[in-house]
Amino acid sequence: MKRDKAHAFALKDLRELSVHVVHAPDEDGLALLDHLRRIGCKAEAHWPPPERLPGHADLLFVAIDREIHAQVTKLLRRAETAPAVVAVVDYENPATLQLVLETRSFAVIGKPIRPFGLLANLVVARNTFLELEKLQGRLSTLEAKLASERNIAKAKSILMEFQGLSEAEAYRSLRAQAMAKRTTIEEIALAIVHANDLLNFRPDRA
Amino acid sequence: MPVQQAETPIRVGVLFSQSGVTAVVEQTQRNAVAMAIDEVNADGGIDGRLIVADYADPRSDPKKYREAAQAMVDAGIRILFGCYMSSTRKAVLPVVEQAGALLFYPTLYEGFEFSPNCFYGGASPNQNSIGLARYLMRTYGPDFYLIGSNYVFPYESNRIMRDFIETEGGRVHQERYVPLASSDEDFARAIAEISSQPRMTVLSTVVGDGTARLYRAYREAGLDPDVTPIGSLTTGEPEVALMGGALAEGHYTAAPYFETVKTEANRAFLRRYRSRFGAHAPVSACTEAAYVQVHMMAIAARDASDNVDDLRTALGVAEFDAPQGRVRIDGDNHHTWLWPRIARADASGTFRIVSESRTALKPDPYLITPPSADWAPSATVA
Repeated sequence: MKRDKAHAFALKDLRELSVHVVHAPDEDGLALLDHLRRIGCKAEAHWPPPERLPGHADLLFVAIDREIHAQVTKLLRRAETAPAVVAVVDYENPATLQLVLETRSFAVIGKPIRPFGLLANLVVARNTFLELEKLQGRLSTLEAKLASERNIAKAKSILMEFQGLSEAEAYRSLRAQAMAKRTTIEEIALAIVHANDLLNFRPDRA
Repeated sequence: MPVQQAETPIRVGVLFSQSGVTAVVEQTQRNAVAMAIDEVNADGGIDGRLIVADYADPRSDPKKYREAAQAMVDAGIRILFGCYMSSTRKAVLPVVEQAGALLFYPTLYEGFEFSPNCFYGGASPNQNSIGLARYLMRTYGPDFYLIGSNYVFPYESNRIMRDFIETEGGRVHQERYVPLASSDEDFARAIAEISSQPRMTVLSTVVGDGTARLYRAYREAGLDPDVTPIGSLTTGEPEVALMGGALAEGHYTAAPYFETVKTEANRAFLRRYRSRFGAHAPVSACTEAAYVQVHMMAIAARDASDNVDDLRTALGVAEFDAPQGRVRIDGDNHHTWLWPRIARADASGTFRIVSESRTALKPDPYLITPPSADWAPSATVA
């Protein structure tokens, strides 16, 4: 049986995860903490919801409750590293689910807390979170690349227009300047585009 | 607590198969529970109250386990002993949880479970798999062949073994599964594969009736246990008694208990068991765990009461001088601190212990990747 290594989260890292819990220290809160620790996770409990999570957090189990919702969303906004959120719910009505969506949860566990299913939800939440992070990273890279391609095209057409160059010559000129200034073609292109904007600025059109 | 007059007995349910694929081992577990109950009763019971057992024979079928457990809790029973295969435990647990009862499960299993209503008396993988893989790797080299019965325990056990072997620089050549109700043909292919590679150690999690088939096929193929032995978690004394020493000779088993453990508690345990169930009645780690769990329950009930919540709390700190050595329950995860051992069968089918832990080892049922030095065996080569 070959194991697929293509997913983002490796099970062997389970005990390295930094897990935080925002839940009242009632029977469910304690049962949740007990089982996280039984699994071997480093779990830290907070109540009432703190202003911010101390340091790094991989996962956050959070009680879904209108009373603390504003504090929780603030806490998530301020997080140094966004954690994968697992919502802990006692109802499944639309009003509750609206709060679940607003906390951008990756998994949901119900009350009363039962040990069975907690580990599975934790693993899936962390994995989905990491997959999404990977995709977002790729998306930013692609967006940046697209913008720079656009600038290069624009810079080439500026050079072609002002210096009467062919497209290939314009590109070679960009590359030569980048090498001379020890920078990237993208930077040179951006400089040309900016300069062109400045040169063509007309107060009456501003 | 004042001693009560002999009054309402404490009723317990006992769920072990006497027929079906795993009956050989489960019969010994049933025997051990019956014997332990008699010992507790002979000792005055639980503060004067006798333990009375209801026995069911669920015939290795998960559905029958569930039905039998349901009938027991419906009859007001709140303390159950039983189950060998994980599939049967999974069938019983919801019934027990629903009723607020307790299940005492006396069998090694794959870990990754916790129920507030269950106490686990058998080895977790960190208490048997890791030590076995390490010992065989050091002694017979880095090449392994994994074979198991087709169900959850062998899958997870093999995942752990494979992880460990590969981390330590060894190699798993093949991972094969045979049906629980196996035939000789199922093993022919595996044996052919094992024969095709020199120096390949076999790790077996084959359970029940298939065990004898595997060892027979191995011997008939002319394989040599001094070169490519079988190491197993599930080939205990009952399985060896069934197939005979000639087939078992030279092969290894890892378990917290063997008949050959030299403790006073074990000598007394074996003497009583054999005077009752026959001079040659085999006893394995699963048998011992079943026996130990009854005594643990009795100790906790004397400390507290037979009310499930009180019992659960008292069990969390219960200790007992078991035949394998002093054991205690881990209050956090409900599993048991046990003494890892490795033994090799001789020509008479007797397990000679070749390595044992110096201390009882904490159960870690949620262990995914074993640390390198989880186990400190002392070489006690006979």
